[in-house]
Amino acid sequence: MTQQGQALKSGNILGAIAALTVLLFGGWSGAVIGWLLGTAAGLMACQGKKVATPKLGIRLGSKAGIALGVWVLVASLIQGVVLLPATGQSSLGLISALILGGIGWVVAILAGWLTGALQGLGPNRQRATAALLALTLIAFPLVDRLAETDWTATVIQILIFALLALGLNIVVGYAGLLDLGYAAFFAIGAYTTGFLSSPQINLEWNFWLVIWIAAGVAALAGVVLGAPTLRLRGDYLAIVTLGFGEIVPVVFRNLTDIRLYEPISQIIASLLGRPEWVICLLGCDRPFNLTGGEAGINPIGRPALPFIGTFQAGQYLPWYYLILCLVVFSAWIISRLRDSRLGRAWTAIREDELAASAMGINLVQTKLLAFAMGATFSGFAGAFYGAYISAIFPSVFDFSVSVIILCMVILGGLGNIIGVLLGCVIIMAADRLYLPQLAQVLKALLNNTVLPNISSPVLRDFLATSVDPLQMRLFLFGLTLVVMMIVRPEGLVPDSQRQAELYESEDESLAEARSQ
Amino acid sequence: MKRWQKVLLYLAVIYLVLLLGPVAGLDIPRILGAIAQSPESLIQQLLVGLVNGAIIAIIALGYTLVYGIIELINFAHGDLYMLGAFTSLTVMGAFGLQSGATLQTSIVPLLVALLLAAVVCAGLNILTERYAYRPLRNAPRLAPLISAIGMSFIFLNLGLFWGGLRSFFPIMGANAAAPKSFPDLLPRIDVLQALGIQTSIAFTIKDLVVLVVAVVLMVGLHLFVQYTRLGKAMRATAQNREAARIMGINVEQIIALTFLIGGALAGAAGLLVGLYNNTVVFTMGFTAGLRAFTAAVLGGIGNIIGAMLGGVLIGVLSALSDQYLSSRWTNAWVFAVLVVILVFRPGGLLGENVQEKV
Amino acid sequence: MPLLEIHRLTKRFGGLVAVKQVDFTLEKGWIASLIGPNGAGKTTFFNMITGLYPPTSGRVVLENRDITGAPPHQLTALGIARTFQNIRLFGNMTALENILVGRHSRLQTGLIGTLLRFPAVQQEERQAKQQALHLLEFVGLGSRTAQELAKNLSYGDQRRLEIARALASEPKLLLLDEPTAGMNPNETAALTRFIQRIRAELQLTILLIEHDMKVVMGISDFVGVMEYGSKIAEGTPAAVQADSRVIEAYLGKEAP
Repeated sequence: MTQQGQALKSGNILGAIAALTVLLFGGWSGAVIGWLLGTAAGLMACQGKKVATPKLGIRLGSKAGIALGVWVLVASLIQGVVLLPATGQSSLGLISALILGGIGWVVAILAGWLTGALQGLGPNRQRATAALLALTLIAFPLVDRLAETDWTATVIQILIFALLALGLNIVVGYAGLLDLGYAAFFAIGAYTTGFLSSPQINLEWNFWLVIWIAAGVAALAGVVLGAPTLRLRGDYLAIVTLGFGEIVPVVFRNLTDIRLYEPISQIIASLLGRPEWVICLLGCDRPFNLTGGEAGINPIGRPALPFIGTFQAGQYLPWYYLILCLVVFSAWIISRLRDSRLGRAWTAIREDELAASAMGINLVQTKLLAFAMGATFSGFAGAFYGAYISAIFPSVFDFSVSVIILCMVILGGLGNIIGVLLGCVIIMAADRLYLPQLAQVLKALLNNTVLPNISSPVLRDFLATSVDPLQMRLFLFGLTLVVMMIVRPEGLVPDSQRQAELYESEDESLAEARSQ
Repeated sequence: MKRWQKVLLYLAVIYLVLLLGPVAGLDIPRILGAIAQSPESLIQQLLVGLVNGAIIAIIALGYTLVYGIIELINFAHGDLYMLGAFTSLTVMGAFGLQSGATLQTSIVPLLVALLLAAVVCAGLNILTERYAYRPLRNAPRLAPLISAIGMSFIFLNLGLFWGGLRSFFPIMGANAAAPKSFPDLLPRIDVLQALGIQTSIAFTIKDLVVLVVAVVLMVGLHLFVQYTRLGKAMRATAQNREAARIMGINVEQIIALTFLIGGALAGAAGLLVGLYNNTVVFTMGFTAGLRAFTAAVLGGIGNIIGAMLGGVLIGVLSALSDQYLSSRWTNAWVFAVLVVILVFRPGGLLGENVQEKV
Repeated sequence: MPLLEIHRLTKRFGGLVAVKQVDFTLEKGWIASLIGPNGAGKTTFFNMITGLYPPTSGRVVLENRDITGAPPHQLTALGIARTFQNIRLFGNMTALENILVGRHSRLQTGLIGTLLRFPAVQQEERQAKQQALHLLEFVGLGSRTAQELAKNLSYGDQRRLEIARALASEPKLLLLDEPTAGMNPNETAALTRFIQRIRAELQLTILLIEHDMKVVMGISDFVGVMEYGSKIAEGTPAAVQADSRVIEAYLGKEAP
């Protein structure tokens, strides 16, 4: 494909997403999404090609930006003039819609222009791009507040899951150990935070200390739960980790009335018939309630910083920057891990466990380290989550969470940090941002435009009760997994060097065929 | 490890179990006391476990058949069984059956429900195999497993959607996600009382029907696999797919047949469980599927007799845990047993451990 | 002092005795071969020396140190490296990375070092990479293949890469499992010369399983013959060739 063609294509793909965004959210969302996706389009337009000069970069970037902007403009018009009245709100009027869309268009072009220009900087290109992305991420919540799009809360959720996905990627993507119970470590991190900084057991430690403890406890849990699975392969490993994923929430749900007696003293007491000799260790007066059961732990202490004070519930800025720092820090650590002796050992185990051990890799140690490192990041995520929501319940950490995180890793590309982050953004944005909004818009559309025109009561009842995108979440996840496996098992951004373990067996049979 | 170290380790484990076990209901003196006080309730729980285990075993057969032939944990199987229950419920609604209907009025709907549930589940299973698993036949093992997890979610959502179709099937009730009541059709006559045995142990026609149907299905399957031409082809394909192909067996057809049988069994189990528990809910497939899979692994996956044995063991274990440990902890105990068994006997109780050839 | 001494090594799989009470001694600097019909237990014997199978009974002694039943990664650290009969490279890693994995046991960097990347760590990585490139040259692959995925290399190159990967652990004893399998006569001759060169330049002791008699007789200082899990003869190539039991094993019993 020509460079120009690629630029157009990037603009159009992202444009479709931008148009959907504008249709659903309206208002200034066109400008915000134009800015974000314009930057992305600029990157995509220049991706994989040698962009010799800033001038060429500008040409490609602004071309993508223009294509993207057209989508935004058209969507703004449709949203403002057609969709709003159809959903029972007052129309924006052609002029206002045109202005809103036009601003979105201009922003998209500018973003594409700037990003494209940076791509042509030659040797400084990477540093410039990183700076641009950093600036974008830092500016995002401010712009979001200005534009009243209210996306920051969702983005915080996305970043929490990004942390989880990065951690799971170590276990599944690097070491090739399919873990279906990863949410357990998330739960362990969150509950550790809950225990240490809530009135539940009267410990109110500082968040900045607790988050490290939570990560450490999660890592330890990774080792403890990982140890029994070391001898298992493939499917069996998946099932045992799934089992752990089921056990851990049950444990947290039920540790509400603990009463511990020392067993040896119990035996002696019952043999000698002296019940008063039983030594009681815990919960003697009344059963000890560790986890709060179904109601969970609430409230959990929040972090505080000088000048900012304690982070508050509705004020998203400090939370956003905190989780952003955590994600960037983790991605940095993980990229270091990957390009190291340890990272190579993980990949070797993924590729061929037996050969890896014959090459001097200690399987037990290396696998446990993968479980531990993977769990560490979910420990961070759990600690942040606990403090952010200020309450935790066992139902948050069930199997579907483990699968959603796995979906992210697979969708983006096993073993690739950028891919995993992308997969996370796509799935979480679709799940937490677009689906709820789509549900709202559809409901309004049904109530105001469609239902009044339908005479059959059965059909009307059906439409009113069964058309709900939120009820299709699982279906969409499932479909994503199946289609991805069939169409593109290596993910959206495959690791160009290591195309994951998904092709390994093919090679083995090839080698065997040759050796015969 | 030296011998004294081992002994010390075991002692430490026993101590920890004695110390922490009571938290999860494993309070041995209390349990022994309860059993001594009423041995009949122990037998009662064993019976309950046996009947529940029979249903689990039917589902487990679906897992084990598929695993035996293409080494895939068909994750969607549990949810398929749930759809079987929903199909049966829909048929009940279509015939307007109410709880307590007489045998004469309910026999035809029951047969229709059995047939339809089996056909729907078998059809869905074959379609799943054809479009979600077959394209991945030569992909490494992770790919079909993940695809199967995806199918499980699709089925789960299908169940939720189906449950919300009150406009077409009033029997589904107002709330899509809520448990739906399944007409109670089997008489609650107690078999032991009818036989004149004086005991507090309850064993009703309902239990008997489930047991009989389960045994008939399992024996039938066993005979089919052992003695028919297709059954032998299935076993050959499970042993060595390539060799079977060379010997002129249409392997894809045999795999489809396996999914057909597994699906039909899941459909039958769905109806059975509806009749037995009188309630169905769209999430029932996940837990049941996990238990059934645990049962299959317990007995040695790929092994038909093993699946039956495993099913009964899991059923009994759950029933005993419900009664003597703590029903809140039953799930954890079931999975703990799975983990322990896989760690010490990766090939299951009847299976065997195959060493990798270097 | 011999490098490797094996006493009455036995491996039983259920009822099958794959290796039966085999004694074997390997002097330092030898190129020794293990021959025998298919299924004679040669690879099982290898797998026990390299720790992949724990022996049922018997002892393996490396430089006066009992290493019986030690796990593979410890044996690699002690100086035993191997290749596999059906090449087992890490297909989705580059040639360079394959060799770096082979070097795993000679590198020190732990978790902390990885995260903080001290100068010493960077130095070690740099050296390891240089050495790996060097090894690529040595086995005749050249730096052009360094960034190729192992699975994309030609069959002959994969064999060479596997040897390079084994050499990266700086072994004292190199075990080659049918290194010339699937090669044409020219490639076989080149590989034979290469094996001699390895010994000459790296002062290694080499034990190989081989079916090609020309190779075996051409380069071996010592040959052991196995049949049905037992060692039936050993000695210099000439002595083994003349042994009646060996001839019997290979050609069948002569008519009386």
